[in-house]
Amino acid sequence: MNFLKGSLAWIEERTGAMAFVAPLMFHHVPRNAKWWYVFGSATLMFFTIQIVTGVCLATVYAPSAAQAWQSLNYIDTEVPMGWMLRALHGWSSNAMVVMMAIHMLQVFLHASYKYPRELNWITGVFLLLTTLALAFTGQVMRWDQDAYWGLGIGAAIADRIPVFGDQARALLLGGPIIGGETLNRFFALHVFVLPGAAIALVGLHMVLIIKNGISEMPKPGAVVVPSTYRKEFEERMHKDGVPFVPDAAQRDMVFCGVCLIGLVALAAFYGPFGPGGIPDPTLINTNPRPDYPFMWLFGAVSLLPPASETAIMLIAPAIVVLVLVAVPFLSNSGERAPSKRPAMVLLALVTVTAIAALTWEGTTSPWSPVMDGWSSLPTPSEFTKGRTPLEMQGAVVFQFAQCRNCHSLDGRGGKRGPALDDIATRLSYDQLVRQVQQGGGNMPAYGKNLDSAQTAAVVGFLSTLHPFNEPDAMTPGAQLPLPSGAATIR
Amino acid sequence: MNSRLLLASLITWLSGCERPGGPHAVQPVAHDSLAWTQSAFNTNCRGCHSQGAEGAALPLMNANYWAVATDAVVIEAIAHGQGRSMPAYLADEGGPFTSAQIVSLVQGMRSLWGAKDGATGGESVAISPRVIAGDAGAGAAVFSQACAGCHGPQGSAGSVIDPLYLRLISNQGLWSATVYGRSELGMPAWNQAMPNRPTGLTAQEVADVVGWISAQRPKQQRVSDAP
Repeated sequence: MNFLKGSLAWIEERTGAMAFVAPLMFHHVPRNAKWWYVFGSATLMFFTIQIVTGVCLATVYAPSAAQAWQSLNYIDTEVPMGWMLRALHGWSSNAMVVMMAIHMLQVFLHASYKYPRELNWITGVFLLLTTLALAFTGQVMRWDQDAYWGLGIGAAIADRIPVFGDQARALLLGGPIIGGETLNRFFALHVFVLPGAAIALVGLHMVLIIKNGISEMPKPGAVVVPSTYRKEFEERMHKDGVPFVPDAAQRDMVFCGVCLIGLVALAAFYGPFGPGGIPDPTLINTNPRPDYPFMWLFGAVSLLPPASETAIMLIAPAIVVLVLVAVPFLSNSGERAPSKRPAMVLLALVTVTAIAALTWEGTTSPWSPVMDGWSSLPTPSEFTKGRTPLEMQGAVVFQFAQCRNCHSLDGRGGKRGPALDDIATRLSYDQLVRQVQQGGGNMPAYGKNLDSAQTAAVVGFLSTLHPFNEPDAMTPGAQLPLPSGAATIR
Repeated sequence: MNSRLLLASLITWLSGCERPGGPHAVQPVAHDSLAWTQSAFNTNCRGCHSQGAEGAALPLMNANYWAVATDAVVIEAIAHGQGRSMPAYLADEGGPFTSAQIVSLVQGMRSLWGAKDGATGGESVAISPRVIAGDAGAGAAVFSQACAGCHGPQGSAGSVIDPLYLRLISNQGLWSATVYGRSELGMPAWNQAMPNRPTGLTAQEVADVVGWISAQRPKQQRVSDAP
């Protein structure tokens, strides 16, 4: 024990390390800073896990387009506990994004970004962007179908930039198309550039926390006045604060411990993410999905009106980043209590709800056709009873032409187009013929795929689809008698 | 709490091989199992050939069908397609199955839905209409006796001689419809009771009726047997 103390004193005398660390450990934090303040520490813990597991993975992973996918399978199946390493890295990545979002939400709701902590918030915003970039480049590291098509979408967005589109895409992919150099480029970003940036930003974030202190719990009426805030805050901390270690640190440790147990449980039970199918662009029978941090974006982009895509994809992210950075400048003084800032609480609620809803839409993606609907979903019996031979042939054409992949009958089938259970009450025979042949409203034209007999059959079948007590749709004027001598052509 | 026991169980759990998230050897499903047949059918065939009144085309979950159709006929239809709406399923023709898988599929479907004793008994009628010659004149008489009760007199709207219908269905299709029927939709099989025919039709009468319906095709279509 004496030897240990002696060694520490020897080091202390020569480095002054304790003199540097002690203020960090024992600086005073608000007494009322209870469990609300643990989310930042948990985010940092997940980031540390990312670095440790990431370094371990980098010792085995082969960052080459030809071998990456195989090397992941090698890690999963051959390396002892390699699957666990990948599972921890993957789940910790998602957990880091979620925890960071919760941390940010708490800081926003408590208005901790107000004077003098504006730069704490702004470094936090850049940490969020860095983390999302790490998540995206990490998805590319899997080098499977999700990675390939995710890159394709990223490149397509870069391609939309006016004038410099080609150059932006070449910069992203390391060439005109996704190739071997693309993976190396993203590997360099994922293991050198972005973690370096994240570590630097975390350091900056911590320095600012020490410098400005942890904000107190907001109280209605306790307004922030920049000219006097710092002096009063420091007085309060001196008089009423508690040292960070052990008071606040123990809560951080308990919460981080619970998070760690949760992380290990998730990793052990659900295992690693992917790798999915091999990244072969000729395999079109694939259903690529982004990772969860981008699912809401996938949902939003899929639901955009086509005409607005370029404008929204290029401008919206810039606006979001600008607004996030501008938050502490838009209001850096005054009330911090959520009860006194109802508009901000509403804004946070709307944002969280929108992201949750878009994540749900992205996960279920009802706009995707059910690719095997035509061959796996039978025509319900209520739609086959009492039909003529031609209408039954129409039901066959309906399946064969894969209408079912986008349209549902009796609730089963694609949701991209409208359900057709009662289509005959909405479109007349002639309107149905026109819709089938010419398409429109996102529906392809089938005029070249179906001949006149097939069209007549399928429209005959569709004309029978209506509830028994509702009248058929009629073309205006169609009930007038035809002029005598007019040929009736079916 | 016995902490040593807890520690021992934790170590056992961490070092065990059967971790839920751990790597699992992928077990390929053998294509000669009935489970494979059922799943291949559900994915590839069920959309049209379902059971009962479900499905637009001929139901295959149907002992009546398997009593008449020989393996060779079904394999031929699946591999190379048939008529205008049945695609070819052989890999060489762009489909999803190898020829071995198609043979397994047909044998699997027969054991799933065919008669349990393997009885067929329908060979007398299982002759391709391309081989048996039907007499259209005799067929017209059979039609007005046995079929017109439900299908209406010759040439009525929505009938089986609607020229558009005849452009979509092959002679094989006409023959299948006559032989197998759609009993759940009210159309009896060839050997079941129908108006004026308590014991159904003979194989020759089936050929005659198909011959007569086929003869009603629009003129430019008659040359080709199976459009």
